[in-house]
Amino acid sequence: MFSVKMKPAMSDRKAELERKKAKLQALREEKDRRKREKEMKDVEEAANRVESGSDKRDLDEMLRSLGVAPVPDVLSSLSTVNSLTPDQSINYTPDTSLQPNSLHNNVAQVKKKQPVLTVVPVQTTNIQPQEVVVYTRQTQTTASGHERDGIFGSSILSKCYMEDWWRPRKAHATDYYDEYNLNPGLEWEDEFTVLTYDDPQGEDEESSLPHLGGFGSKLPPGILPHGLPQVKEVQPAVTAVEQEQAKQEVKEVRELSEEEKQMIILSEDFQRFVDRAGRVMERALGETVDIYADYSGLGGDEGLDEKSHQRISFNRWFYDERWSKNRCVTSLDWSLQYPELLLSSYNNNDESPNDPDGVALIWNTKYKKTTPEYVFHCQSPVMNAKFARFHPNLVLGGTYSGQIVLWDNRVQKRTPIQRTPLSASAHTHPVYCMHVVGTQNAHNLISISTDGRLCSWSLEMLSQPQETMELQRSQSRSVAVTCLDFPHSDVNNFVVGSEEGAAFSACRHGAKVGVTDTYDGHQGPITGISVNAVQGGIDFSHMFLTSSIDWTIKLWSLKDTKPIYTFEDNGDYVLDVAWSPTHPALFAAVDGGGRLDLWNLNQDTEVPAAGLTVDGNPALNRVSWTPSGLHVTVGDNTGKIWVYDVAENFAHPRHDEWNKFLYTTQELRSNQVDEELEKLNLGISNTPLTSMSSISSSPLR
Amino acid sequence: MSNEIEETMKRIQSHKGVVGTIVVNSEGIPIKSTLDNTTTVQYSGLISSLADKARSVVRDLDPSNDLTFLRIRSKKHEIMVAPDKEFILIVIQNPTE
Repeated sequence: MFSVKMKPAMSDRKAELERKKAKLQALREEKDRRKREKEMKDVEEAANRVESGSDKRDLDEMLRSLGVAPVPDVLSSLSTVNSLTPDQSINYTPDTSLQPNSLHNNVAQVKKKQPVLTVVPVQTTNIQPQEVVVYTRQTQTTASGHERDGIFGSSILSKCYMEDWWRPRKAHATDYYDEYNLNPGLEWEDEFTVLTYDDPQGEDEESSLPHLGGFGSKLPPGILPHGLPQVKEVQPAVTAVEQEQAKQEVKEVRELSEEEKQMIILSEDFQRFVDRAGRVMERALGETVDIYADYSGLGGDEGLDEKSHQRISFNRWFYDERWSKNRCVTSLDWSLQYPELLLSSYNNNDESPNDPDGVALIWNTKYKKTTPEYVFHCQSPVMNAKFARFHPNLVLGGTYSGQIVLWDNRVQKRTPIQRTPLSASAHTHPVYCMHVVGTQNAHNLISISTDGRLCSWSLEMLSQPQETMELQRSQSRSVAVTCLDFPHSDVNNFVVGSEEGAAFSACRHGAKVGVTDTYDGHQGPITGISVNAVQGGIDFSHMFLTSSIDWTIKLWSLKDTKPIYTFEDNGDYVLDVAWSPTHPALFAAVDGGGRLDLWNLNQDTEVPAAGLTVDGNPALNRVSWTPSGLHVTVGDNTGKIWVYDVAENFAHPRHDEWNKFLYTTQELRSNQVDEELEKLNLGISNTPLTSMSSISSSPLR
Repeated sequence: MSNEIEETMKRIQSHKGVVGTIVVNSEGIPIKSTLDNTTTVQYSGLISSLADKARSVVRDLDPSNDLTFLRIRSKKHEIMVAPDKEFILIVIQNPTE
């Protein structure tokens, strides 16, 4: 039983093993069969796919044209080869007859290369070479254009950022043009380059992308894959400005506290600044010239023509509410260095006792500025002020107290920087007249007070006069000097006018120091004296004029103690007289009734050649010519200085005026002799009977 | 002395056509003004930076040169700027009488 049992057990086991083997075999066979079936199916699919893509014959032809043998030939030669190298496999078309292994490989190869084959026809049809050229030209508009040209042919190794930019573009130029050609009006290149240079983001983006990647990487940054330019991206320059603005806004304007402000205002720097800048600003404001004048339109200036016919016309006036109001103008003087500067001195203002009594102002005739250039003042009324002639910054003032004061426009103060002492060694009476005489290297200030004392000063030392002199008429009768004038460039001889009505000539040095001659004639105090100072063929420096309260002006010659002529046209005190600096026969005179007269003795000696009455009829105290002789300035007793233009043809002498004037003076002299004779005759013969033969009969009586 | 500053300011302000006068320091901070606060601050900041720029232009062109005056003429106003080392005087004028 056991053995039987064993046997069947053994046989059973054997049978089971057999069965299992057979089962395994069957499974293996089944697996193989399935595998083979699957492969067959794949090959079929691949074959179908190739055939659907291009006709088999066409492909053969195409391959033959490229120098490749047709598929069947190759297959026959390669029938023994099981596996193909990938390079070779490109040229093969899969076939159903191929072995499964080779088939498998080929199918894989075909699958991989399929997109390449589809792209080829697109390239050949769509590239437009001209467009490429246009594109490069446009980009050449930037400075680095030539560089870029080189880039197209340059090596890929080049590290220039710009080249990085362009390499991918060149490789895929067609992709762009396919899209951008659709919209040829689009000028995206310019914007594109802006982005390239100015947008740092673009650079980053570009460098982070692989150049051989997909379509998106070929696009410049800022251009979206759909290919249309994005204008909003192109703003790098603007943003820079905006950033700057933002920075400025951040800088907050700090405000100063009142104390800080006050500190600054009181600082010397600030005061100097305001003084300087204010001066400039006022001049600038005074410039009323209309630079936009349009002459193409209508509007001729009729007023100008009318003006040119007048010999004398109003120009402007100088007046300062604070400093010159109610103050009588006591003197006028012109700067030698700056001919446009006018110095005027003023008497006290009775209505404002708190203000300084004496004022001297410097006005500028060049600018239309209405305020004084400089303001100086002192405690005593200034009777006369003069520029220190050779020192452009210094101004001298003779005061009512007898002090002579010195101002300097370089220092920030209006009060005198120096003054002469009030002592017996100097002046103790009002100084009505001063004069700076001499040359640049040797000059003196001559001042005379009303007690007849003449002092000469060195400007370097005002503590005491260099020399003093008493002007006396005769023994111990001092001359009350009211006015003084020196002939042109004379330092020794001079003429003075006095309160008693006589004029005197005097000299400072020489054999007879002091008064040399007396010119009696006026019935009242002499108010003004002027020596003819015109240079020319004939010297008239011996001729001088005096004006007086007796309503007359007298013309004198130093050589004659009798007046040459008396002008009796005025109906009021004649307060000042002044020869023209350019015309030998022209002089100006002003009177207490507001009249300004210009006399041209070559034209008329009876009546003034030109004249006018100043508005408001103020008493005109001083008259002065500008150095050019084209303007007359008049100072009145209310503090106003009037500037009048004198017509050029009237102010400028003709070449024969000197001879004419000589003739005129001779004529005046002879007339005077006749008059005197007549007077003599009238004085002697009281009866009209004898008047006919007065001269001949008089010695008989 | 500060009287004279007042006097000068008043004189300029009383000039025909003058709309406002401002004195600012080099930092563009107003020190004196005849205009209201907002306008003053605005003018001060803008004009001082413009004056700085103008000065640097003048100096860049010629280092020995310097800016002395600046006039800005517009349709409505004329702005006159007198710059100095530490301060700037600004006057706004209405040129049309």
